[in-house]
Amino acid sequence: MDQQIVNAIFTGSIYALFAVGYTLVFGILDILNLAHSAVFMFGAALTYSLVVNHGQSFWIACVLGIIASAALGLVIEYVCLRPLRRRQAPPIAALISTIGLALVIVAAVEQGKQGGLFAWLWVDGANSVAFPRGTIPNPIWHVGDLTLEATKVVIIPISIALMLVLGYVMRYTQVGRGLRAVAENPRAARLMGLDVDRMIALTLVISSALGGLAGILFGVALGDISPYIGRDYVEVRGLAVIVLGGMGSIPGAVLGGYLLGLIEMLALVTLGSGARGGVAFAALFLMLVLRPQGLFGTRLRERI
Amino acid sequence: MNRMRVIGWLVATVLVAACGSTGGGGGGTSNSYSGKTIKFGSVLSLTGAGSVYGPQSLNGAKLAVKEINASGGVNGAQIDLASEDDTSDKGISAQKTQALIQSNQVLALLGPTLSNSAVAAHPLAESLKTPMLAVSTTGIHIVPDCKNPDPTPCKYVFRDSLGEETAIPDNIKSYANDSHPKTGVLLVAQDDKFSSDGGTIVQNTVGQYNIQLLKVIKFNKGEADFSPYVTQAVKVNGVAPDVIFITSLGQIPAKLMTGARNLGWQGQFLGGNGFNTAAVSTQAGAAGTGARSASAWYLGNDFPSNKDFVTAYKNEYNKDPDQFAAQGYTGMKILADAAKRANLTFTDVAGDRDKLRAAMETVNLQTPLGPFQFTANHDVKQTVWIIAMDGAGGFKLVHEIRAS
Repeated sequence: MDQQIVNAIFTGSIYALFAVGYTLVFGILDILNLAHSAVFMFGAALTYSLVVNHGQSFWIACVLGIIASAALGLVIEYVCLRPLRRRQAPPIAALISTIGLALVIVAAVEQGKQGGLFAWLWVDGANSVAFPRGTIPNPIWHVGDLTLEATKVVIIPISIALMLVLGYVMRYTQVGRGLRAVAENPRAARLMGLDVDRMIALTLVISSALGGLAGILFGVALGDISPYIGRDYVEVRGLAVIVLGGMGSIPGAVLGGYLLGLIEMLALVTLGSGARGGVAFAALFLMLVLRPQGLFGTRLRERI
Repeated sequence: MNRMRVIGWLVATVLVAACGSTGGGGGGTSNSYSGKTIKFGSVLSLTGAGSVYGPQSLNGAKLAVKEINASGGVNGAQIDLASEDDTSDKGISAQKTQALIQSNQVLALLGPTLSNSAVAAHPLAESLKTPMLAVSTTGIHIVPDCKNPDPTPCKYVFRDSLGEETAIPDNIKSYANDSHPKTGVLLVAQDDKFSSDGGTIVQNTVGQYNIQLLKVIKFNKGEADFSPYVTQAVKVNGVAPDVIFITSLGQIPAKLMTGARNLGWQGQFLGGNGFNTAAVSTQAGAAGTGARSASAWYLGNDFPSNKDFVTAYKNEYNKDPDQFAAQGYTGMKILADAAKRANLTFTDVAGDRDKLRAAMETVNLQTPLGPFQFTANHDVKQTVWIIAMDGAGGFKLVHEIRAS
């Protein structure tokens, strides 16, 4: 059982890291960026490609992967969000356009093959690959009865540290104040002289960098990189996490991530793998009924 | 030209006379073949989920065609192979099969790659009375009951790939004889026919060898993190099992092995066809060392029919063949050998298909898979190779189980 709790914490950390980026965009723009799962996959795929097909060291590939994911955030803003904002389209339009972009990114990676247009990004088509042995050091520690793998353990401090940094930036810096002002009331923020478009672009850059990093850590820890990892593993779960934690709340996303990890593990151990998803979403439903604003949510009150 | 022909006949007559009562002698009507073309087709998964297997099968088949045509063809007739990609889709597989049979008028077909597609393509070939030889399908109800649940044996469907119903029990038996394990745990992907069939076969087999199955752990192949399952498997009520059986596909066996070794478990992994590719062995690395499975083919076999195949394949494609390449190559050799003995008319396609089918039933060849024949059920009758991962991306041979 102890080992199972350790497993749940690892899984929860990935959910948390992914959901932090998800919730950040929602908190500031009131838009669900459904291309976030594609960014998650893109980060993992590009980093893998840089290591395996372009002979880069893992660390350089990691940095480039995160930068490219951040740049993809800009693409989301310029292609999917800004044109619609200009036309004052309803949030549902932005939701649909991000779904569209996600499909395009996944399809582009899926088509990646040797000699193809996207060969620089991906050559393994629809297949699932893993970093070859030895490209990433992965010492294993045995503490008492527990087994701890470095690639998984490292996710925990990374997600907690990032959450703290992000919390600090949001609360105490000029940029953070600007972002919060935009979240509160974009029009007022603009009247106060804030460049709202720039703030939104920045939000997407930060969010996508986090999403890409989550994807890389996922690929490293679980040895599964394919065009579908975002869609299959984190897209819907990420939504569950931010609802559990409270839409738009960063600490909520982190706690929600760990909570979902634990719930899934308990369901799996006691009821078997088939029940895993069902139980997790039953918990989500319960949360929506009992506490619709989630653990840390405040938005409902704000709106009243 | 005429003189050559007369001399040819004379030589043939002398040879037949020399063979006399021993009854040797190849196809007698060879000159009706010369200058003709024998049309075969293949319906394989070159894209989609089956694309890790299909292209190798096709490479193998093409190599066989090239070799046969270069060495004078089938009694002088050249083979023409029309290959189609079924994109790993059952419906498309059936369509392509029908098109090759009806429009291209092929004599016989190889394929399809996946058991899932065979369910659609094979009954079609059967109803159109065209021989179809499966080269990589290992599921149950492929032969002879291709129209399952209808139990009528299919006359035109054959298979040269080793079914899990043979492979898994052979593997368990051989390990039980070697090491007498007492306890086991089964890890089985429940949402994939190939894997869950494999799990059922394990459950039905272990009892015969007094292996107590402590736990059956089912998972879905689409999971990201297998550690909760592995954690359950390596210790059941405080007891570490002697064996972990894995019936699953793709990268999953490698992930399960790595996970179990990381948790410090030291027992034996036993599996099925899902273990038999270099990709799995490479991915598992040291964690996979010693993991055993039964295979239809072994790269390191040095009998001539395999050694020549491996060399020719490497020359042609610059890489080692795998089991699927060997089975594709063997499939084409089987068709060619049957065509050679079938007294084809080249005018009556339906009649020729029937003759070919009859000749296939009596195939007896040396192939890369070893000595090859079909059973009365049109299934493969061949030596089974028990192999173990070598920890470095390859396999080593542990046992050889000859066909009874």
